[in-house]
Amino acid sequence: MYNFLFYFLIELIGLFYLILSFSVIVIYFIIMILSALEMRDYRRKNRFADYEDIITSPIAPGVSILAPAYNEGSNIVQNVKSLLSLHYGKFEVIIINDGSKDDTLTKLLDAFELQKVSYAYNPEIITQEVKGVYKSQNKSYRRLTVIDKENGGKADALNAGINISQMEILACIDVDCILANDSLTRMVRPFMEETNRKVIAVGGAIGIANNCDVQDGAVTKYRVPQSTLGQFQVIEYCRAFLMGRMAWTRINGLMLISGAFGFFRRDLVLNVGGYFPKTVGEDMELVVRMRRYMEEKKIPYKVSFIPDPLCWTEVPEDVEVLGRQRNRWMRGTIETLQLHRKIGLNPKFGILGTISYPFWSVFEKMAPIIEIFGLIYTLILLIIGDFSAIYFVALLFMIYLLSLLVSSFSILYEQISYNNYKNKSDLKKLIWIILIEPLYIHPKVLLWGLKGHLDFIIGKGGWGQMIRTGFKTAEERKTIEAQAEKSL
Amino acid sequence: MKRKLLPVIFFFASFSLSFGQEGLLPFQDSAALIQELKLQEDIPSFTYRFFIPKANINSKITADSSFLWVETDTAFISKSFKNGTLIDSLYGQLQGNSANLLFFVYEEKTNVEGLQSYLETMYATGDFVLAEDKEQPENDIMLLASSNNYQPLDAYKNRLLGDFKLLAVTLIILFFIFTAASMIIFMLIFKTQRNQREENIKNYENEIIGPLTNLLFEKDLDEISQMSDQEISEIFPRSLFKKRLFKQVLIERIIGLNKKMKGEFKDKLKTLYKRLGLVDLTKANLKDSRWDIIASGLVQVNEMDLSELINEVKSFTNSKNFHVRSLAGATLLNLSEKVDLSFLKDQDYPLSDWQQMNYLRIIKFVGSSKFLNIPILFKSKNPSVREFAIKMVRMLGRVDLIAELHMINEASTEEEKIELIKTYDALGAHMEVEFINNCMLSNNPDLKKIAVKAAGNLGNSYSEVILMDILLQNIDFRLRRACLTSLNKLNAQTFEKFVATQPLPENKALKAQIQDPLLSNV
Repeated sequence: MYNFLFYFLIELIGLFYLILSFSVIVIYFIIMILSALEMRDYRRKNRFADYEDIITSPIAPGVSILAPAYNEGSNIVQNVKSLLSLHYGKFEVIIINDGSKDDTLTKLLDAFELQKVSYAYNPEIITQEVKGVYKSQNKSYRRLTVIDKENGGKADALNAGINISQMEILACIDVDCILANDSLTRMVRPFMEETNRKVIAVGGAIGIANNCDVQDGAVTKYRVPQSTLGQFQVIEYCRAFLMGRMAWTRINGLMLISGAFGFFRRDLVLNVGGYFPKTVGEDMELVVRMRRYMEEKKIPYKVSFIPDPLCWTEVPEDVEVLGRQRNRWMRGTIETLQLHRKIGLNPKFGILGTISYPFWSVFEKMAPIIEIFGLIYTLILLIIGDFSAIYFVALLFMIYLLSLLVSSFSILYEQISYNNYKNKSDLKKLIWIILIEPLYIHPKVLLWGLKGHLDFIIGKGGWGQMIRTGFKTAEERKTIEAQAEKSL
Repeated sequence: MKRKLLPVIFFFASFSLSFGQEGLLPFQDSAALIQELKLQEDIPSFTYRFFIPKANINSKITADSSFLWVETDTAFISKSFKNGTLIDSLYGQLQGNSANLLFFVYEEKTNVEGLQSYLETMYATGDFVLAEDKEQPENDIMLLASSNNYQPLDAYKNRLLGDFKLLAVTLIILFFIFTAASMIIFMLIFKTQRNQREENIKNYENEIIGPLTNLLFEKDLDEISQMSDQEISEIFPRSLFKKRLFKQVLIERIIGLNKKMKGEFKDKLKTLYKRLGLVDLTKANLKDSRWDIIASGLVQVNEMDLSELINEVKSFTNSKNFHVRSLAGATLLNLSEKVDLSFLKDQDYPLSDWQQMNYLRIIKFVGSSKFLNIPILFKSKNPSVREFAIKMVRMLGRVDLIAELHMINEASTEEEKIELIKTYDALGAHMEVEFINNCMLSNNPDLKKIAVKAAGNLGNSYSEVILMDILLQNIDFRLRRACLTSLNKLNAQTFEKFVATQPLPENKALKAQIQDPLLSNV
């Protein structure tokens, strides 16, 4: 009897992996097609857009740029100058010094002639204590506001910035990012275009600045990074931004806007209670909560995405740092999905509940588990002598080919749409990485993901009991968090 | 050929199947075999005939048509019979004649041993069942089955088709390869076409720039107008001018120059555009089904002032496509002799901020030289159009329209009231203070906040009372800040007195903020 059950189970698992493999192929083909269509439409629309108008128009919305800084003393002055020189009419730059232990604040005070002001700080969203708000005596820096606060993490710092922001649109960025001069005009456009539904957030593509030439806060010459891990991330970013997010935008199912470069409607962010500081995936969590709020209120909405490379950042090329980043991303994903598990497969939440959430659950969150389990399954088959070499090689070869296809297409998209990497040697490097990625880098990514799961289970990273219960509604987060703060 | 192969196949089959299976049938001799045959109605591929030597035959027998005798050198041979149960009755008809039986398997003559071997083979495969077995009850079928030699079914199956998982993987791989190949081919074709197109555009631009520059700098406007068709057609190579892509590049180049140049050069380019017959391409663009091509046509009409196509443009002002109706509106504003806003008044779709921004830019540009009838928009059925009209009054600084705005104060929606107050505030319309005071008492938080802000600039003593009333209520921090700021603007003494008598921590903090010169804009 047990023998029968064992073999029956083995057969069932085999069938599961077969269906999964087929689903992966079909889904990636669909993603490739949807992203191609979205990219085509985006480029067509762009032909008729005059971005110069937005800079001076009184109708264009104001933008509050929020940039948390923690121990950024080495580059903070240059970065802030770069932000202040962006081409846009109505904007403010809010730098939040999140309890830096270095000279970040001193450098800012000196460079921008800042003076502590009697700002009546009102924590609409609860944050760590704000020690002071600074404004410049020099009118050239009138757009700049600096907040000095106790350390509370990125989400907490952003919440402090939201509390004092004045404009309609919030641009939440990493302070070390390099923004293109026209980044604000391009990112603001979707907020201005829609009429039949409200654009609640706009995400932007992020380019990799390692090994590029940067002059006066702008990338002047594009090159792929020198290290294998850096080059791998170029491909990964192309896949994520030009393919994945474009496809999700096509069906209005985008669930993640990168924390390094995301634009949000301020009133809505305040309505849902701002960033959630107890998760490491605060960027994804905020988008999901905003979407959930709109679904619950039954207000038509859209989350947009701009594929133009408007923001450039340095990515980690060190194995340990990259590993930590991926571990954090995985925990952020798990935490967000756990928090909002109520929306999973719930038709009440439209595309978000029926497509985006299940996709993220299976193909992002569970991917490392499924892969490692597949490996164990193969070993079991080998031990019991039921291993089919043809079957195994065929599946492996197919998935390898799929990886090559998807990666090649994402690079092709980049070449067709932007062609930033003009040097042929750069392209050769990328092709080489595409070939070795599934065998050399992917196992590492898998292990980092597994470590993320493990850290989540053992509670590493400040995971509290409150989160495990999930929110009843998006609005209730505000109340729950306020109660938690009081009890502390 | 097939027939000849059958005995061979039979031989090998019988050889292989009978290997190690001798003595399966219980026939001790030929008599027992014939006895068994007499009980069988049909044995596959088996027949028998009767044989009578010539010496023993009589004429009556040969005349019997039921046997269809065939004469040979030594004997007469009957036709073939299949049914064994007829053997005895047929023998009866041949009484007195020494008839013998001949056996045939696959129509080849065989002897008793051959027949027995064949029957054993058939017995082994289950194709021949002994008469006595046929008569046995059904429950003995298991015994019959167990007497069969077991051959696993898998042995006959194709390896690929037999394993459903492998079959599924094969199908998935085939699907993958097919789809991947299709996509790669599509992308390669796309990229090749694109590269080719870019190369052509580059070449065409080189062909265009020389003659175009010469024409613009060497000929004046009248000369271009008076050029003969022959001269016009000789400006660019005829073979290239027939190509649509060449014309598109030419249009883009002319439009590009038109944007950068001023004065007579603009007129020259517009004249040249018409003389070269590029208007036909613009017309064709406007008739296309693709929205982006229609939009290109609209841009061409707009940039080249093709007022003869104004009716075609009007048909797009209520287009389903946002970009098309947006560009059509912009073109109409640009080309109409008066700034005709009637198309806006009748607009079904809500106006987006993007459209408003574009229209405002054009209206600002042409508004100084053309008549602009903004008030007709106040009566539009589309709320977004009415809001845009109020914004225009503010942004164009049309103080003369304040009286018109006053007339819609009460009938307007709350969103319109917000725009109205912003406009009164921006234009310094002190006469609207009563309206502002009323709005300060509204339950709509956005309207209340805007009215409070405006009261700081336009308010009166009653506004002060309202502001203090609001401040005594439990209100949100941003509204409190707006109220205190306005109160300070209206009457600094009242402000000081109020904060002194209401020493809430937030009032004190806000007082410090309001009086901080570095925060004057916050």
